[in-house]
Parts: sequence; structure tokens; C-alpha cells
Amino acid sequence: MSDTTHSPLPAGDTSNVIEAPLPSAGAILWIGWYSIREMARRRRLISLAAINLLPVAVVLAIRIWFPGEGITAHQQLASLTHDTFIPFLIPIVAMAVGVSAIGEQVEEGTIVYLWTRPIRRRAIYLGRLLAAQLVSSALLSGSLVLCFMIMVSGGADIITWGFLKLYVVTFLIIGLGAFTYASLFAALGTWFRKPVLPAILFAFGWENLVSNIPARVQELSLRFHLQNLVDRPPAAPDDLPGLLGALLNMAVKRDPVPRLQSVLVLLIVGLVAAAVGIWMLRHKEIEK
Amino acid sequence: MMGAGVTSETARISARRVGKWFGEVIAVNNCSLSVGTGVVGLLGANGAGKSTLFKMLAGLIEPSHGEVRVFGRRLRDEVGWYRRTGFCPESDSLPDWMTGREFLSLSLRLMGLSRTEITKRVGYWLERFELEGAADRRLGGYSKGMRQKLKLAQALAHDPDVIFLDEPLNGMDPVSRKQSIDLVRELGEAGRTVLVSSHILPEVETMTSQIILIDRGKVLAEGSVTDIRDKIPEHPTTVALVSPDPRGLAGFLIGRDHVVSVQLEGRGRVVVRTDHAVLFYRALPDWILANNLAVEEILTLDDSLEAVFQYLTES
Repeated sequence: MSDTTHSPLPAGDTSNVIEAPLPSAGAILWIGWYSIREMARRRRLISLAAINLLPVAVVLAIRIWFPGEGITAHQQLASLTHDTFIPFLIPIVAMAVGVSAIGEQVEEGTIVYLWTRPIRRRAIYLGRLLAAQLVSSALLSGSLVLCFMIMVSGGADIITWGFLKLYVVTFLIIGLGAFTYASLFAALGTWFRKPVLPAILFAFGWENLVSNIPARVQELSLRFHLQNLVDRPPAAPDDLPGLLGALLNMAVKRDPVPRLQSVLVLLIVGLVAAAVGIWMLRHKEIEK
Repeated sequence: MMGAGVTSETARISARRVGKWFGEVIAVNNCSLSVGTGVVGLLGANGAGKSTLFKMLAGLIEPSHGEVRVFGRRLRDEVGWYRRTGFCPESDSLPDWMTGREFLSLSLRLMGLSRTEITKRVGYWLERFELEGAADRRLGGYSKGMRQKLKLAQALAHDPDVIFLDEPLNGMDPVSRKQSIDLVRELGEAGRTVLVSSHILPEVETMTSQIILIDRGKVLAEGSVTDIRDKIPEHPTTVALVSPDPRGLAGFLIGRDHVVSVQLEGRGRVVVRTDHAVLFYRALPDWILANNLAVEEILTLDDSLEAVFQYLTES
């Protein structure tokens, strides 16, 4: 067996031999890097990228067909962030990437090749989770960048301080949203053998339901805290649907909580979900 | 206790009264074993519980009861010891998007090897398994045999002391089979512990004479083929005696103790079926000497693993 062999460990007492696991930071980075490459090759990423073109299509339509309707870039971006990215795109992208981060590897049996390495379970979990969060953020950010490019193609005069600030805040919201939702969905994917239904029920059942209940119950949704980080887009109730929308908004509107509180809630939920996911992975049975 | 002079203190792999059930299905039932150095074959039909036992030993699943140890450690808890173990799973799953070279490199990187060492070892193992030509192709395009070889390579490339090979020869062509069998024997001779499972008995016989027989989740027997035979004296054995006077010999043997049947074959062969191998072999020299029988050769026809295995599993 060539010169790459070493003398085998004697078969006797090995109680004084220490075999430490690899440092977790390095393992997380390597697993994360390979996982990003794996996730980026999945076919479902094409569907996700297509879904992420939805806000781009809206901005493009406004740019082409309603250039003089008085809808400012700031209004467009606020509306997209508040009503498209937060309630729809962030959960759906994080769900598609997050639930499969660990669960799919366990189901396919490929996790064996990570499991039988001298790396801590938390490094496996965090490497995969980090990749899911980065891939989700990159997909969503790509959509935001395209929207920005279409908006500014109308002239540099739309770039106001308020617009730029909102643009940066939207990036942060995407990052924070991807962090929290992907953590939660990765934990669901580790727990359930078929995690898609519970994930859909959470993202579009629980989150919708709770967000539309007046009073403090809304604070039990992640969506509330993400939306709390951005100013609600101004309503334009100059027609019947607009008026009805404004009335509905007023009816269910919850007074905002301090933004720092929302950031902390989102971070804590993300961290707790990751901790629970790690615990579940440590106790996972790799049956395939 | 498998391997030369294995005690519970020197065993590299040990399982004590291990059981595993999935719902109401008992996959492994009260298995105990100790394995030292060398190659040990884990034999059993499909569904006998080999893979479940392997997964428990390799720390992939937790036993429902009992305990497993590798180097005296629970691999599930002391993951650093995976550096000294290699595992080749039965499942065909591989990260199909990766190339063979990337897969082996990542495997070694996660073992903590340096870049230079990784390059050296990846090159060596790709060459050893004749995969250099496909090294930069995606695994999704690999044949079953190539995938099997790569799985084997990732289990061995970091030079582990304890190696679990679950049906490693599945899907390999005859040449690769031969190479892999030679490799396994080489590892055993080099002082490694290799636990290799198979449901194809002649394959295991070519790798080792040390076996553990498992059926329906239970260890039926362990030791060398001969040891196992000795433990089951009632096991019917077929013996061929070559004589210049086969008719005379056959006539003498009919009706003797422990002789079940006698049959004449060509070239002077008398085929005797006995119901107690040990007593028959003990009595035979006395019969030959006392009765001046002409016997030129004694052949045990079914001292193969196949025969032992069939007997044990059927009973």
C-alpha cells in the first residue's frame, strides 16, 4: 500500500490515546463551501430563480408601461420589500433551500461521508446551514440588485438618501430573514422525514394567520418582525380597492415594537432553531 | 472472539448483547462479538441484519440495547476516532454532482490531512482503482462498479486501522473484484482490522477464513470455518474416500456408526455421508487399520462456507 501508510495502532489498550476532532471552524468552512456548490447545482434553484424574477417583472412593468404615474422608486421598493420579499420570497426561498440542507442528505444517505469523519456534528450542521443561508441570501439579493438596476435606469435623480437607505435596509432584511427562516426550516428538515408540509404550514399558514390577527398576537410571527424593520409603504387610497386596502390595514395594524427588539427576536429564533437542529442531528439515526 | 488472541481488552471492535429494532421489526437481536486484527467476514443473506450491525458499529445508528465499542470508544460520542476508522456503506448514494477527485479530496480534507498529502493519496488511490481516467468526471456518470471502487477508496485513503466494508464487491467486474479481494487481504496482513460483509459466500472465503454468521438478526456462529464445523458435530458431512477397491470399502462402511449413506462414484471414489463428522473422523483410522482397508485419499467435500452456512441457517 505505498508510502502513504502508517503503522497501525496496536490492538491493545488505547485508553491513553487521544483522537481529537478537527477544529470546527475549518470543518464548517469546508462543508459550507462544498454545500454551496452542491446547492447551486440543484435543479430547483432554477425554479427559485424564476420566482425571484417576480419583483423584477413588476418593476420592469412599471418602468415600461407606467413611467409617468407618479410611483416613485422609493415607493416601489418599500412596497416590494414589505409585501413581496418579506411575506413571500424570503420564506419560500429559505424553505426550498433550508428544509433540504440536512434532511435531504440524511434521506439520500450521502451524509454518511460527513458523519464518518472526525468532525463534530455541530460542524456538519452549521456548515450545511451556513450554505443554505448564503444561497438563500444570494438568490434574493440578486433579485433586489436587478430591481435596483431597472429602477435607476430611468435616471440617477431617483437615487435619494431615503431610497438608498431603504435599499441597504432591504439587503439587511433579506440577510436576517434568510438567516432566521433557513435556520427554522433546516431544523424542520432535520426533525421530519417529510418536512415540506410542516414547512408550508408554518410559512404560509401560521405566518399568514398570525400576521393578520389584530393585537400582540402578530408578534408571534417572524413576518411581523421583518416587516417591523421597514417603514410601511404609503397607501394610495384614491380608488375603491385602495380605500378598502387602507381600511383593512388600519384594522389589523399593530403598533410597531422597537426595531432592536425585532432584530433580537429574529436572531434568537434563528440561533435557537440552529441549536435545536444540532441537538436533533446528534441524535439522528443514519439508516440509509 | 475473532482474530489472533483477541480478548475483550485487545478487541478493536466489540459489541455486547446488541439489539436493534425498527418499530416491531427486530433487525439485530442480542449480538455479541469481539474482533481483533485481520480480516473477518460477516456473512448473512440479504436482510439478515448485517448492515444494521455495521451501522451500529460505525456509530451511524444507536443500538436499542447493548453497547458497541471501537477502540473501546463509542464512535457516536468520540468522533475524533473516525480518523482511525474507515466505512464503506452498502448504499449506492454518492454526491453525484462532484467529480471523483473532488469527492476523495474532500473526504481526506475532512480527515485533517495536509494539501500535499491529499494530492498524493488521491493520486495513489485513483490509480490503484484504475479511476484516473474518470477522476474529473461527475460521479453521476460513474458505473456501479466505479462508484463501488470510489466508496472503497474513500474508506481506505486516510489509512485507517479499523475498516468496515459493507458489501464492498457489489457491482464490481471480475478484475476489480480480484483486486479488491487482494487489497482486503493485504490490509489484514498489514495489521488492520477489516470487517467485511457479504451475502456471497465464496467471495468471503477468498478474503478470510474468519467468519461471523448472522441470520435473522442473530449471530449463529463465529470463528474459522473449521471451528464452526467442530462446534456442530451433528452437521452432516460428505466425505470422499479414494480407494483401489471402492466396492469393498463401500460394503464395509454400510451400516457403520454415523454413516448415513454410501455412494460409489467414478475413479475409485466412495462418497460417505455422515451425521457426526467428529466421531466419524475419529473412528475412520481405526477401521482402516483394523480391517486393512485400502484408502489412498480422504477428501472433505462440503467443508466450504456454503455448506456450513446453509446448514446453520436452515437449522
